[in-house]
Amino acid sequence: MSHLFEHKGAGGKGYSQPESIMPTDNLQIPSSLIRKDLPKWPRLSEPEMVRHYTWLSTRNFGIDTGFYPLGSCTMKHNPRVNEVIAQLPGIADLHPLQPEHQIQGTLAIFHEMQEMLGICAGMDAVTLQPVAGAQGEFTAIRCFQEYFRKRGELQRTKVIVPDSAHGTNPASASMAGFEIIEIPSQEDGRIDLNALRAVVGDDTAAMMITNPSTLGVFEPEIAEAAEIVHAAGGQMYYDGANFNAILGLTSPGIMGFDAVHYNLHKTFSQPHGGGGPGSGPIGVKSHLAEFLPGPVVKRRPVLSGDRLTSVNKEWWYHWQEPENSIGKVQQWHGNSGAVIRSWAFYRRYGRDLKTMSQHAVLNANYLRYKIMQEAEAKGVGHLFCDGAPIDVVKHEFTLSFAPMKEEMGIGAMDIAKGLLDRGYMAPTVYFPLIVPECMMFEPTETESKDVLDEFAIKFVEVLQEDPDVLHAAPITTKVRRVDEVYAARNLVLSYPFDEE
Amino acid sequence: MVDQLPNLGREKEMLEAMGLSSMDDLFSDIPEAVRMNGELPLRGPQSEEEIIADARRILGANVALGDRVNFLGAGLNRNYVPASVFQLITRGEFLTSYTPYQPEVSQGMLQAMWEFQTLISELLCLEVANLSVYDGSTAAAEAITCAVRVHNRKATQKDTIYISELIPPARISVIENYTQGGGVIVKTLRHNSDGTLNLESLSEAAGSCGIYVEQPNPLGVLDGGLTRVKEIIGESTAFIVGVSPVSLGLIEAPGNYGADIVVGEGQALGSPITYGGPLYGIFACTKAYLRQMPGRIVGRSIDVDGKEAFCLTLSTREQHIRRHRATSNICTNETLIALMGAMHMSLLGPEGLQKLAQRNMAACQLAKKKLSEIPTIAIPHAMNCHFNEFVVELPGSASDCIAYLDTQGLIGGYDLSNWYPQRRNWLLVSFSDQTKETEIELLTAHLAVWSASVSPGVSA
Repeated sequence: MSHLFEHKGAGGKGYSQPESIMPTDNLQIPSSLIRKDLPKWPRLSEPEMVRHYTWLSTRNFGIDTGFYPLGSCTMKHNPRVNEVIAQLPGIADLHPLQPEHQIQGTLAIFHEMQEMLGICAGMDAVTLQPVAGAQGEFTAIRCFQEYFRKRGELQRTKVIVPDSAHGTNPASASMAGFEIIEIPSQEDGRIDLNALRAVVGDDTAAMMITNPSTLGVFEPEIAEAAEIVHAAGGQMYYDGANFNAILGLTSPGIMGFDAVHYNLHKTFSQPHGGGGPGSGPIGVKSHLAEFLPGPVVKRRPVLSGDRLTSVNKEWWYHWQEPENSIGKVQQWHGNSGAVIRSWAFYRRYGRDLKTMSQHAVLNANYLRYKIMQEAEAKGVGHLFCDGAPIDVVKHEFTLSFAPMKEEMGIGAMDIAKGLLDRGYMAPTVYFPLIVPECMMFEPTETESKDVLDEFAIKFVEVLQEDPDVLHAAPITTKVRRVDEVYAARNLVLSYPFDEE
Repeated sequence: MVDQLPNLGREKEMLEAMGLSSMDDLFSDIPEAVRMNGELPLRGPQSEEEIIADARRILGANVALGDRVNFLGAGLNRNYVPASVFQLITRGEFLTSYTPYQPEVSQGMLQAMWEFQTLISELLCLEVANLSVYDGSTAAAEAITCAVRVHNRKATQKDTIYISELIPPARISVIENYTQGGGVIVKTLRHNSDGTLNLESLSEAAGSCGIYVEQPNPLGVLDGGLTRVKEIIGESTAFIVGVSPVSLGLIEAPGNYGADIVVGEGQALGSPITYGGPLYGIFACTKAYLRQMPGRIVGRSIDVDGKEAFCLTLSTREQHIRRHRATSNICTNETLIALMGAMHMSLLGPEGLQKLAQRNMAACQLAKKKLSEIPTIAIPHAMNCHFNEFVVELPGSASDCIAYLDTQGLIGGYDLSNWYPQRRNWLLVSFSDQTKETEIELLTAHLAVWSASVSPGVSA
């Protein structure tokens, strides 16, 4: 059975429910509001439902299935104890409006996470409320906006983003009402300081940038860029998507940034779950702390009269509204479940988060080296070039297959599909937009040398493949190449019951 | 030492292969001036056993809803979620996958989300649904900006949206943050003293870009008047309704009384409350709004052999293609929680949903009956039909009452002065399929005692 909606068993057979606590024959619903037709939901027994979703799961590829070198996404292993912890009643069965004396445990963990994230990024204050990276960006940009409004600098209406930036950067700033100024990168992918100097001015609100960049390149002139923006009166925003490369080695604070978002679902192993949930806390320097969305967790020494719990030997944890808060970006306190999982991940590493980043960078450089070496050995090194010609990359790197496209008509997407046939998830393709026929590789720290060695061999095998085979790839997957144009031209966005 | 790094101890071998001599060589590109020297000033690493012991100790300091008799809801309800949902969701193929950008190896999640879209479309009686936004509040905010994009050109009240005055401040704050950048003016719709929408107030909204109201409203009132809204505001003003999805097992779907966009907090279907996140926001609309919709959408397609296959579609609305002209900045969403929702909905089936709605409603009705027998309290909107919750007007402050109930082992409800400062004596009490008759009796008894104690001249 391949379709959920083809299960048409007897009514109410999925799982039995207890009887209502009073008769339901007179619920006094206004006649205009009585539902006439129930939704055409399927009717499955539990065995059928379990088998359907298990079957679907066998048609999906996760990190648990195999190597997932998806650049910019940091697909690292998700430790399973984190899942067990997130389902404890002290987190799953908790309401965000419970009084503080009932949630001291959660507040203690939130406080520890705020402190840890602040230390790692060199920021003075942290909120855990934003629920995704893009929402973190939006939140920080809103804080900048209120900062300028308070200072009367209403003319600061422009946000600068490099052309290598993630699409969320301009989208988030635009949502907050800013005009976007895109500046070109240099030939080697690095930030062009002259281009930056040419666009800053008294209308500059902020620059948004990730470092290392989406090319996996550390911007050596980042401090100079920050100086240029600050001299013009603007703020510096750090897109934390690539934070996995630098923990304990440098920090956005040291580089001169004023605000940063963290992707707990990248750096701190909240599982990606097929697209979410994530968590996108932000950290800011002290001059922006008063604008953070509220409330944030604070603590004070325990006083007599406090109801003591197992976490309150010294401190009483409480919510506090920042003085000039922008308000809320999510109705409650953010994706608490993701924060707790990330706390468990942090506890696994502690100060060795630095070792984690070192290994992420080690693996990226090693994989890049092995692919190059293997390609040269097999005589296909001329089919691609570095997205950025540098000695060492950070947590990810890009390769351009423009030469191969030119010579053989095989593009990055064809190579990606050839990798699927070999049991791998493909690297990110066609991003960043500034590298033609781009593939972006991010192995993460949780892959072994053996996996990387094997992947390099298989990757070069794909490059040596008959072009016709690659055009036809994949052939071993559950479906073959999917026609995305057909989907957009013949929109079928739900099960077509009338086709039956 | 950490136990999650497979290449610990192999660093030298890997570095030497690359012609490097130390880890520091990998970071030679970071200028001295911006390096962090020394160790991170953080604690040392822990083993799995130590972490779980700490988690149990620290989170054990929390009072779980299940530890008490609970009447706190305010939009989040503690429905029973079947065990199979939690078991299936741990499958690594779902849990550890990314957004399905390579459809050939992501058919499982794509089909599951296409089915989710169908379940939601059917539930709300609207043509299209996306595969979730963050939560009910951002769903409402995204619906409003979507309505402005669709209607602003022809609107006589440019950039203007009307929302119910009952919407809680936190939800309004999210809406304001999302809309202020676009210069949207948010005006309010008044309500009658019985808790229903004032339809005369509604006529002021004609010619605006849209109105946003909730069914049931934040006071738990099911408002029959909403079925007349669309005829009053007209075609060129979007009718946006926020719903409690479980209620739709009994209550007419807004798509059948003229709603253009329907949003809501999905949590009660599939997910525990989890301290307010992760949840999932439902977003569905008519085809007229499709091109301005936020978020990801799955479409049915074919592969090169003509075999049915699924993929993400209409991506040109999204930030990774359209950048600053995207319909929203949303990228990461709540797919896994939406998947839990789809699993729960699948097991319920149509009749199961109806029964779940009946159980929720019956608990509310029984509580209303019992509490109305207490002479010292009032139920201001008692003449209406309620879902999940209703307001109790006390003879003293709700915060005092909650503190008293806390001493008796009850999480007594929500103090509505947090939402409406002038309503110091309003307590919002919530009931779900998990509420037992004995619990309602306990609440009734304690409220009677407390109310009598604060009412002059009344003896308990």
